[in-house]
Amino acid sequence: MKNVFIDLEKCIGCRHCEVACAIEHSSGKELFSMYFEVPRPQPRISVKLGVDLMTFPNKCQHCDPAPCMEVCPVNAIFRDVKTDTVQVQEERCISCGMCAMVCPYGAIQYQVRPNLPNEVAYKCDSCISRLENGKEPACVEACVTNALVFGEYNEIIAEKQRGISLNLTREIQGYKEEEMPENIKAFRALQRKVAQLGPLPSSQNKINVNEKIKGASKRWISH
Amino acid sequence: MDKSLIKLKVEERTIDESAKPLLERTLEEGIETAWDRLEKQQPQCGFGQLGLCCNRCSMGPCRIDPFEKDGPKRGVCGADADLIVARNLLDDLVTGAAAHSDHGREVVETLLMTAEGKSQGYEILDKEKLYTVAKEIGITTEGRNDTDIAKDIALSFLEEYGTIKNSIDLSKRAPEPTQDKWAKAGILPRSVDREIVEAMHRIHMGVGADYANILLHGLRASLSDGWGGSMMATEVSDILFGTPEIKESWVNLGTLKEDMVNIVLHGHNPVLSEMVVKAVKEQEMVDLAKQKGAKGINLVGMCCTGNELLMRRGIPIAGNLLNQELALATGAVDVMIIDYQCIFPSITQVASCFHTKIVSTSEKSKVPGAVHMEFHPETAYDTAKNIVKLAIETYEQRNPDRVKIPAKPVKMMAGFSVEAIKKALGGTFQPLIDAIANGSIKGAVGMVGCNNPKIKQDYGHVTLGKELIKRNILVVETGCAAIASGKAGLLLPEAADLAGDGLKSVCHALGIPPVLHMGSCVDCSRILVLAAELAKALNVGIDQLPLAGAAPEWYSQKAVSIASYFVASGVYTVLGLPPKIFGSKNVIDLLTSGLNDVVGATYAVEPGPVAAADLIEKHIDSKRKDLGI
Repeated sequence: MKNVFIDLEKCIGCRHCEVACAIEHSSGKELFSMYFEVPRPQPRISVKLGVDLMTFPNKCQHCDPAPCMEVCPVNAIFRDVKTDTVQVQEERCISCGMCAMVCPYGAIQYQVRPNLPNEVAYKCDSCISRLENGKEPACVEACVTNALVFGEYNEIIAEKQRGISLNLTREIQGYKEEEMPENIKAFRALQRKVAQLGPLPSSQNKINVNEKIKGASKRWISH
Repeated sequence: MDKSLIKLKVEERTIDESAKPLLERTLEEGIETAWDRLEKQQPQCGFGQLGLCCNRCSMGPCRIDPFEKDGPKRGVCGADADLIVARNLLDDLVTGAAAHSDHGREVVETLLMTAEGKSQGYEILDKEKLYTVAKEIGITTEGRNDTDIAKDIALSFLEEYGTIKNSIDLSKRAPEPTQDKWAKAGILPRSVDREIVEAMHRIHMGVGADYANILLHGLRASLSDGWGGSMMATEVSDILFGTPEIKESWVNLGTLKEDMVNIVLHGHNPVLSEMVVKAVKEQEMVDLAKQKGAKGINLVGMCCTGNELLMRRGIPIAGNLLNQELALATGAVDVMIIDYQCIFPSITQVASCFHTKIVSTSEKSKVPGAVHMEFHPETAYDTAKNIVKLAIETYEQRNPDRVKIPAKPVKMMAGFSVEAIKKALGGTFQPLIDAIANGSIKGAVGMVGCNNPKIKQDYGHVTLGKELIKRNILVVETGCAAIASGKAGLLLPEAADLAGDGLKSVCHALGIPPVLHMGSCVDCSRILVLAAELAKALNVGIDQLPLAGAAPEWYSQKAVSIASYFVASGVYTVLGLPPKIFGSKNVIDLLTSGLNDVVGATYAVEPGPVAAADLIEKHIDSKRKDLGI
């Protein structure tokens, strides 16, 4: 299974992935011309704020089995066998909203497309045309910190396991090597404190008003 | 939005009781404020926050991967994280220094025009200061009239901006050991403009790659602000408008009046506002206001223009940075006059929800949607009167049903210039020095800086202030910090009851609050002068004194400059929000420890007010120990 792996600790909220995604899905595939396209291309990846000023780049994970695909009454959503990705056939979409309702990541939204009368489901297509040309998705290419990595999941995870083994054993032997640079750790600690002192979401004993208002509460996490 | 959620949101945003009902109104009515914009800006880019984004030239923009192992380590030009962070910090710093110093220049220009008889409505109000300053910078006073002396001071100060004598006169006010440190480090400020221009040069691509060299220049540029541009702004404002004396006044959004024409003076420069203060007293204006059904004209300040007027005239002050949109949301402001700095570009949008007019007055600071009535010293008084007339006319359009004035104002005491403090102490600093020596006052902290919506409004200032006075540490304040303390009742002699026993007894004996309002943000120069006076009395450098600086809620580039001239002058300074330096371990190390060997002080970052008080107390204790007291 080849997919985009998200290394949460490395996301610093620059939203470069969002811009790259919108450019990739524009007709000119270029930043400056993109701003003049109607409708303006929208990103299919979304970086949102979590607690303590941490961020999470959220996108379709191309599940298998994919709940969206299973509930679609008109078979507008299908699996592309070659790339093992979940795709939307926009012309068939009847804007019923079922796929968006069942998506565990909230990764499906609706958008006007050129030459279609209705707002249709749009989501990450894993940059299928790039994949077909042997390239990785645009968001992955744009990610400077490698918070987004494209590859065989088992390989990525094996790599991660090797790192964990090395770190744990090093630590036991008294040679602790920090994965995270010291200055970034200090910065994250300060951000945690800032979040505690103000209106931005904090992990520390505070009612999170924004969560409540937007209804983005526990029911999504229980999936 | 659900009412109970609005209430929760309000509680997260501010501790200012007068702000709460208006914040509620903005949320109910969909009037956008800085807090809403902060929310919409999330997430904010981490490269920018870490100082790792370089957007200076067109080979870029470049950013450095902060996680060391994988991504790019250098920009296209080859700059590494240390260099990019240092360039960015220097850029912020001199933007602040330029803002202060340019404000100073306008005040000095007004003095020159006044001396030449070309300005309208101004006079030299503080002759004592005129003579003191003249003497200090070597201008003969004997047998000369005031205007001649004033002209010489003005010309001499204007020259400081581009002087070729390679030193700034007022920096000689620093105690010798402090000046020696500057000389040794090669950071003696040479002229105001030169340091700023040189900084802009140094952040151009290919002008040096040594982060430490760049940051040392930052210290020099900050000194040219603190002991130059800002100090000239303070001194000349005193000459023109009077040196502040202790006085009582009122603070918070409740200073706006339902039955009067309300004029808010917002920004930083007192030159036009002083004329507005004069104009509203004219019988013609008062009569006109009454004719339109108002009981009179109510003038209130906002931010540092407000502080200037409060310090010298006792004009009530409506609030600090985050109160500006809320003041408009009362629906009771007829005209808000703006000069420059810290004015949210969105205020005309908030004003458009009501009858309120925003009047811009500076050629430098135009805002779409504002009425522009440009200020010039030659016609200042006429302009002031025209603006007051406009306010009275606008009052007629006020919708009484939309007026919501929240709370009663809080009483406060202000006007603690260095001269006023000395007078309160009986004409000499000895009682203060004795109190510090015998430990009833442990030390002093200059708490300055802004509001920042990332931190609950005023919470940082007020919590740290209370924590410090409890530990017998005297707090002196300027800017938004002072206004925060005023709203919380800390600028009253009664607040001494919240202080530790030692500080409490000193405050009771002198009848002063434990937190002293020393003025606007350019008046941080007053804090430098006070520190210099204490150091000279003890025959030491400023860095040896039990002093510290704090900016718990800072946002602005001016705060970067202030923090830097505090540190460069030898004052350990704790910032409540991380500056954009955390992308470079080397820069952090230099600023938080390496500088100790250079200037005898460092920066620290600590958002938590109690933890910040711990750091400050520890620092003050160690300085006391070194002094043997």
